[in-house]
Amino acid sequence: MTEVVQGGGRGYEDPWPPVRGDYHVVDPLSAVAVVTLTSPMILRGCAIFGQCKTENLGIEKIVANVISNCNIRFVIICGLESKGHLPGNTLLALHKNGIDDQGRIIGSKGAIPFIQNIPPEAVRRFQDQVEVIDCIGIVDAEEIERLIDQCSRQSAPYPAEPFQVVKRRSVPAHIYAGDADMTFGSGVVMDASAWLVMQVSEGG
Amino acid sequence: MFRFEREQSRVNIGGVVIGGQPGELPSVLCGTIFYQGQKLVEDEERGIFSRPAAERLVSRQAELSEETGCPSILHIYAKSIEAFGKYLDFAEEAWGGAFIIDSADPATRMAAAALVSEVGYADKAIYNSISLATDESEGRALGESEVDSAIILAYNPSQPGVEGSLAILETGGGVRKNGLLEEAREAGVRNLLIDPAVLPLGSGAGSALRFSVAAKARLGLPVGSGIHNAVSSWPWLSGKDAAIKKSCDASAAAMQLLAAADFLLYGPIENAEIIFPAAALADILVAEAVRDLEIVPAKVHPLHRLV
Repeated sequence: MTEVVQGGGRGYEDPWPPVRGDYHVVDPLSAVAVVTLTSPMILRGCAIFGQCKTENLGIEKIVANVISNCNIRFVIICGLESKGHLPGNTLLALHKNGIDDQGRIIGSKGAIPFIQNIPPEAVRRFQDQVEVIDCIGIVDAEEIERLIDQCSRQSAPYPAEPFQVVKRRSVPAHIYAGDADMTFGSGVVMDASAWLVMQVSEGG
Repeated sequence: MFRFEREQSRVNIGGVVIGGQPGELPSVLCGTIFYQGQKLVEDEERGIFSRPAAERLVSRQAELSEETGCPSILHIYAKSIEAFGKYLDFAEEAWGGAFIIDSADPATRMAAAALVSEVGYADKAIYNSISLATDESEGRALGESEVDSAIILAYNPSQPGVEGSLAILETGGGVRKNGLLEEAREAGVRNLLIDPAVLPLGSGAGSALRFSVAAKARLGLPVGSGIHNAVSSWPWLSGKDAAIKKSCDASAAAMQLLAAADFLLYGPIENAEIIFPAAALADILVAEAVRDLEIVPAKVHPLHRLV
């Protein structure tokens, strides 16, 4: 349920980033985004930095915010990994391998590594637009800032329009409720006069 | 507040009874201790913590249980098996009741299930959780342990929403060969507690409420959730005063109980002070709402203790 919209002369459209999350925006014209995993860090010189603790929704937000800014050509993954969830490992796997038909991130060792809210073409754009730099385990902000500086010197904006992941409103489907007054969906209805919740089969 | 046509099963874990029709049994409240970032934990890998602080918290949860009638369970989070061993020793001395085994690390969860079996506490333990992430080795380890109670996490990222959550439980939802309920039973789990997995606000947190009603209607099993996750992950709320955050925690808890939940994973055990009154209030309102529908509140219900 997504579509690509065009636009953006500076490499991104306002408001950027389009998806809310646990991050800080520094300079949207910078070429570098930094994912600090579970480690709280304050960084200068990058476009955006923030923590990521989950291997599904958190990864989706990173992808959506990165590909909506063509200036970003590098994603540095640093800080301490989230045990069990492994978002750092998962982001590396996503960039390297992409997703399968069910949205599972191929090769991830995370617990539930799925992409559900962004289309496959957004993943391909992420793979194409940025280089991912594996600094997992590094928590020294100065070291990361030196790397940001190096990356910034060797990049040009991605030669395309910003990729916006926009949710399209779906048409409400008719839900069968039988003779009951209320429905909870999934074949569950309520007869309000008897205050009774029950399961019904479609059509009868 | 609903009355379900389908019979609603009850489970008894270490003396704590969970389930039934809304209004029958008091809600079961599970506070988390030793979670990541909790101030009393000094070394989360080795399980070093302030024992007096931990004792105060579990004692307070027990006192509030006694006062309100809402039973409680200690939700133990551990980063490593070394830490879990120490937490378990503490729980046996300071708590003694039912507890939840939890860790983000599957190896720690498996080792914890083995440890509680070895020391004879398996009948009081609840494994958190069986989910899409549970692989064959974890299922086998759980089966080899004596733990027979588990939370089944109905998270289905390939099909978000209520239907997808039910599908992962019943059929595997296209991402597993079998449904999680079947896999749990194969792993020796007899007491199944259903949890919809609460997502952040904006990502579908509200579906946990409708799921709770739908799951009880279709499965007849006890249902509950960690609805506090929707509150704690809400960026807009993060800069607000503590009192505002607490009001949202209490509201979310009451809403989940109104939506037919039998238990709450209410988050940090420090929140017991606000969650128990909110849950007792919700329990009383629900019990009174169904009073003339042949649903009789249990003797220990807050209705009989607080009004």
